[in-house]
Amino acid sequence: MVGAGFVPGMNAVIKGVALAAGHLGWEVIGIRDGFEGLLRPERYAEGGLLHLAPHLIENLDPSAGSLLGQSGRVDPFHVRQIDADEMVEEVDRSDELLAKLKAERIDALISVVGGQGLTILYKLHAKGLNAVCIPRAIENDVAATLVSFGFNSALSFTIEMLDKARQAAQAAGKIAVVEVLGSQTGWLALQSGIAAGADAVLIPEVPCDLQKLAAKLKEKMTTRRPYGLVVVAEGANLVDNAKAGTDKASTLKASLAPLALGDNSSHVIQRSGQAAETVANRLQLLIAEETFPLVVGPWARAGTPTAVDRQLGLAYGAGAVQALNTGQTGVMVAFVPPDIRFVPLAEAINKVRTVPPDNEFRRTAQSLGICLGN
Amino acid sequence: MSNPSTTPSAPTGIVLNIQRYCSHDGPGIRTNVFLKGCSLRCKWCGNPESIRVKPELSYDPKKCKGRECSLCLKDPFPKGAFYFTEGEEGPVKVNWDLTSGCDEASCSLCPTGALEMYGKTMTVDEVLNEVEKDASIYRTTGGGITLSGGECMLQPDFSAALFGGAHQRGINTAVETACNVPWTNIEKVLPHVDTMLHDHKLTIPERHKKWTGVGNERILANFKRAYETFPNVDFIARTPLIPGVNADEEHIRAVLAFIRPHKNVIDYELLPYHRFGLGKYEYLGKVYELDDYKTPSDEVVKHLQAIIDEAFGRTRQADPTAK
Repeated sequence: MVGAGFVPGMNAVIKGVALAAGHLGWEVIGIRDGFEGLLRPERYAEGGLLHLAPHLIENLDPSAGSLLGQSGRVDPFHVRQIDADEMVEEVDRSDELLAKLKAERIDALISVVGGQGLTILYKLHAKGLNAVCIPRAIENDVAATLVSFGFNSALSFTIEMLDKARQAAQAAGKIAVVEVLGSQTGWLALQSGIAAGADAVLIPEVPCDLQKLAAKLKEKMTTRRPYGLVVVAEGANLVDNAKAGTDKASTLKASLAPLALGDNSSHVIQRSGQAAETVANRLQLLIAEETFPLVVGPWARAGTPTAVDRQLGLAYGAGAVQALNTGQTGVMVAFVPPDIRFVPLAEAINKVRTVPPDNEFRRTAQSLGICLGN
Repeated sequence: MSNPSTTPSAPTGIVLNIQRYCSHDGPGIRTNVFLKGCSLRCKWCGNPESIRVKPELSYDPKKCKGRECSLCLKDPFPKGAFYFTEGEEGPVKVNWDLTSGCDEASCSLCPTGALEMYGKTMTVDEVLNEVEKDASIYRTTGGGITLSGGECMLQPDFSAALFGGAHQRGINTAVETACNVPWTNIEKVLPHVDTMLHDHKLTIPERHKKWTGVGNERILANFKRAYETFPNVDFIARTPLIPGVNADEEHIRAVLAFIRPHKNVIDYELLPYHRFGLGKYEYLGKVYELDDYKTPSDEVVKHLQAIIDEAFGRTRQADPTAK
């Protein structure tokens, strides 16, 4: 089962699971569109379940999207539906889901999910489901693993876009303020900013003083180099304690559970561009140079997975099967180089992998003269 | 959908809020009683705390004392529902997917009131005693009680009992409804209603479904039946006006074509979209899906209002303060 939100490399995980399970002689069934294939099978002419047969897997294109599709939100505890009286309601269909899994003779469920999905699977495991989770997180914010699959592809794409933004800034003689994904953590902004040679990187973990940022940019601006590149994570903080976005919307963002993420989730605010716009506008009031905002954000969620994510996806898939084969359920597969480990879901939820103060990437950025806004 | 009322003879209801001195939801100065539960999911909803039928948790991070308190990390609060991120100061964070076990008793343990429950069970007399406090204001202004929500018709027995009791106490009654309920609910309530404010949100059924969760066929049928079945009720049509959704001439003219044949529809009001409810989404851990949408401009509102005025055969006085 693949959870909400697209991440490059989904097919690699599916392939990893199917091949590893096949070696053990297990049969693997895929559920279409999150839990939709089980809860609403009538929507699918060919059925809501897909037998992941060898011929299907062998020819699976790892660069394509997910074979199993995905749902907007994977939460059988709050399924929105229209009742017999044509009234909208949210109902708990978790018991029904478990019964259907049993009826289909599915012994265990491997789920590719983000932070919120982990909580959902934790709850289902508590109700008796043999669950193994594979973390996927563009922002790399799942704490129990060093690298979630999907992050490396997003990082590569973001670096490519930042290179183009820098060239655009150079051509225009302005400062490009580029917003990248990262509402809770600054991994993507920091690592891509370093790689692309940014002048400044603003991340949620380091409150930014715009006065200091402006002063630093003034130092860097010369007649020979009259342009700049500022990378802003969408959840960046300013020292006045206002978020980089407009106050109202960012107050909302700030209050949400960090793990409550996922496209179309009822906990998600779908708005990008506020952070770049706010920083660009406020910065321009403090310096002579013109600024212009750009948004890379959502683009990084799609596309072809990198070699790293393909390998990682296959390894995570195989790791999930290994967990089940060794009798471990209620766990998340974690990549802690050089090992694949299994972390209890109870320990995996409610934790966000943030950039700590003594992190090597932060030290590297400072060594390179990249301003972090502090 | 469950009905929180107990028995028709002694109904109780789940009340979200009682708001006094209201002037926009029916004639005169009124007391609005908001009931929990709604059968639509309008993306612009300004009262998200009214959507769920049952009482639900709200959390105001500004009131939280953070790690120095930490009471919500212990029993009887649900395990994992509240937590702190390592190395981070500030208010506690909420994993909303694990909060279903929170209730009035556990929230009362929060010393700062950061955790509260939206909605409580009340009797008819409890509500009416509160409403009656402003009886003298109702008498002088022509006001009274307005039941709102959510969708108050989801609690038909309670609503009917409230209105019946209000009439017995000489209080004028108004109901604010979208009418996306079975007719049996409506016919229980409307015999006790003086004014019915009802929303014509969108015209095209598919678009109505996209923005509110259901089509409008049953709603329109209920409106028409209500106009015809209750000729002595004053009906006021309303439209929450949202640019890019329904702030267009076609919708306004379609609504006028629907209501004008019915003489007991005495007015059609436009409610320019606002974002006052935004903060409540924060308290509930919910998304506000219309973040990019703006309040309609004065020009658009005036233009559409002029169409309504013309249809009702009235001319508006020029605004003396206008430049």
